[in-house]
This record gives sequence, structure tokens and C-alpha cells, in this order.
Amino acid sequence: MSNVQRTWTINGKQTKLRFPPGRRLLDILRDDLGLTGSKESCGEGECGACTVLVNKEPVVSCILPAGQLVNGTDILTIEGIEKKRIGRVIQQAFLECGAVQCGFCIPGMVVAAYALLIKNPKPSVRAIREALAGNLCRCTGYTKIIQAVKLAATRMPQRK
Amino acid sequence: MKITEKMKFEFPPTLAVALRMQANQKTRGKLLAGGTDLMVQWASGVTPPNRIISIWGLPELNLIEISRSEVLIGAGVTHARMARSPELKRHLPALTAAAATVGATQIQTRGTLGGNAANASPAGDTAPALLVTGGWAVLASLAGVREVPLTEFWTGYRQIAARPDEIILAFRLPKKNKARERFRKIGARQAQAISKVMCASRMLMDDGRIVSAAIAVGSVAPTPIRLSAVEEYLAGKKLTNPVIAKAEALARAVEPISDIRSTADYRRWATGRLVRDALEALKTKSRST
Repeated sequence: MSNVQRTWTINGKQTKLRFPPGRRLLDILRDDLGLTGSKESCGEGECGACTVLVNKEPVVSCILPAGQLVNGTDILTIEGIEKKRIGRVIQQAFLECGAVQCGFCIPGMVVAAYALLIKNPKPSVRAIREALAGNLCRCTGYTKIIQAVKLAATRMPQRK
Repeated sequence: MKITEKMKFEFPPTLAVALRMQANQKTRGKLLAGGTDLMVQWASGVTPPNRIISIWGLPELNLIEISRSEVLIGAGVTHARMARSPELKRHLPALTAAAATVGATQIQTRGTLGGNAANASPAGDTAPALLVTGGWAVLASLAGVREVPLTEFWTGYRQIAARPDEIILAFRLPKKNKARERFRKIGARQAQAISKVMCASRMLMDDGRIVSAAIAVGSVAPTPIRLSAVEEYLAGKKLTNPVIAKAEALARAVEPISDIRSTADYRRWATGRLVRDALEALKTKSRST
């Protein structure tokens, strides 16, 4: 089908793209741009491994027809988040808490945790569980992941 | 190439343009909002339509207007926006509670109220909460705007009262005022689970008596339904234990099916328990949602 043209800010960089409008955001990120941190697991919006931020809100990129994202859309993937201070704080906390086993779900977990902490730097355990409820992990049993987000929250920079 | 890349997309910039496209059989297409249901269906083998009319982001569908007795919610309003709105929570707490149980955060960011209604799954989480308001779906076409009572909106399994040339504009929903609302959903887990049964209720009490009861359930029939027999029985009754027991028994008269998520027997039993739960919650002083 005929391509559309879009200019987005991806991880802080203006990026011009042409693609069929029904192309999934995940395929653009991974296959067109080589941003392979976002993972495809279920491919139907259930598991959260492909979570990225669109205009600061978490979405599952595997069921998002990218043509719907207008010019000027701000997209942040795990590759952008890990360069940010809060992203590094989250990653370090995941390491210290042993929150990672096979690792496949972790980029999505970190993105979801980042989306929570930028809005709510001192979340309750319930808020953490809710924010991560759309991200499935088959290894850890979640306890250490939730501990890691709690630890990251204690190290959040003071300013919002 | 993924199947959705073969589809032709239109991005009408305004509602008027979208309505013109839908008015003509040649330009008409499948309406797509956030895609949280349709993209999944297409990815899992349901034949996609040739032509998509994307209504995601249309400003005319994104309004929330609160008047003295009613709330108008645009069909394009997302579950996330509803769940986060303190005003909606005050006037339509069952609906905001339902919105907060759709999928998880990532789905709520993209899924819309109109999409959930138009998808017309018997398991659509927001439908029972819409039904108990006694409100209307506002449908638009080039011929004009008309309103359909929500009790007549879901006409059959995955069928709605909208004509092919119509677009759901909004939902006009009476506020709960002094009534109390509750929403409960039973699924395999709290997040990302399609419901086995869910129940919304709006009940007005006065001096220990039920003045009026609206109770709706999902996933127990081809469409979301009101439990009219239970509602009629409850009107005017005092909330005694025998009354609650009788209401629970009446609620079990639903005729669900067994499927991948649950059995008919369990669904009948759970429907009764959810009605009991709604009534027992009325006895407590705590704010119910």
C-alpha cells in the first residue's frame, strides 16, 4: 500500500520515515531503525515486552499501526531511556536486586517503571504493581522486580 | 510483510470528512481507533478489511462535557483518561473502575470507550458500567445525529445498532447523583485478563429501602445485559438477608456458555455472587465503586 511520511522525535532525535501506515511501530523500531531493545514476545499486546513511550505514555508497540502517530510524536525506547539518569538508576536497581533472569521482558519492565517514576517518583507498592501489571515475566516471580523499582524510587533525583 | 501493512488507510482530519467517507459505499471503511482489539484480531488470523478509516485522535471525538445532570464522553476518549479523571470518578465511578480494569496501562493508553462499545464483545469491560447509567449512545452520520438508548445498543453477538454510515460520536450518561455504584470483574488475574464475568450496579437507597436498582453483567450472554428480573424484584425492598438471597438466586437465571475462559455453571454461580456482593456493599458505610 502507498507509504506515508512521518517525522517523529525518537529518543530525542528528529527522524523522518516512510512506511506503509499499517506497519507496526515495533517493526519500524526494530527492523527499520535497528532499535532492537524493544522485544516481540506475544505479538498481541498481552505481555508488554515491546513497551515504548509515545508522548510519555506507555504503549505496546506490537499492535500500534504507526501511521496513526502524527508528525511531532515523541517516542522514547529503552535505548533512549538508558541514556537518561532515571533510566540508569532503574537499571542499576534491577542489577542490585537480582531482578533479571533471562532478561527478555526487562526492557519493557524498565520502560514501564520509567513511565511510572517520571510521573510518581515515590510510588506505593500497589502503584508499582499496577504500573507493571501489563508486563509479564516468566522467570522472576516479580518480587525482585518490584523491589528493584522500590529501590530506584529511593534514589530518584529530588526535582520532578 | 505483516498483514496490516497491506491495508489501505485513510486519515480523515475531521469528523465531517470521516462521515463523508462512511456515507458512500465506495469510500467506506472499517473504523479504527486505538486498535487494541482490531490489531490483535488481524494479527491472529481474522481477515482484515481492505480499507481502514482511522478515527484515532479526531478532536470531535475527544470531548468530555459535564453538565448539571449528565456527562457526555466522546467515543475517542481513552480508558486511561477516564480512569485518571477525578470528575468522572465522582459522577460515574463504575465506569472509571471498569476503564481501569481494561487490559493494563499500555492498553488503557490506546483503547477507547467507543472502541470498546463498537467491538461489542460480551466481555467488553465498560459495557455493563455504561448500561447501568440508563444513558444513550450518540451516533452521527451525514443524515444527522441520533441517540440510541444503551439498552438497545448491543443488538446481538458482536452487533451494534449503528448503521454502516454512522460513527459513534459520544455517550450521554446521567450522573449517579445520590445513587451508589459498584463494578467488579472476575478474571484469571487482575490485569490483562478477559473477564469470566463482570457486574456493574447503580442503586438508589432511601431510608434502608432500595428505591431503584440497575444491575448489568457481561460475559454471560451474547451481549452485555441488564438483569431486569433482579432489578424489578429489588425495587422498594428493604435490604434484608432473605431479600439478598432471593436476588442472588434470581441473578443465577442467566444463560451463559462454557468457553476457553470459564464454564456456564461457574458463570451462573459467580453472577449470583456478584449481585450479592453489590447488595452487601450497600449495607456498609464505605464509599463503593
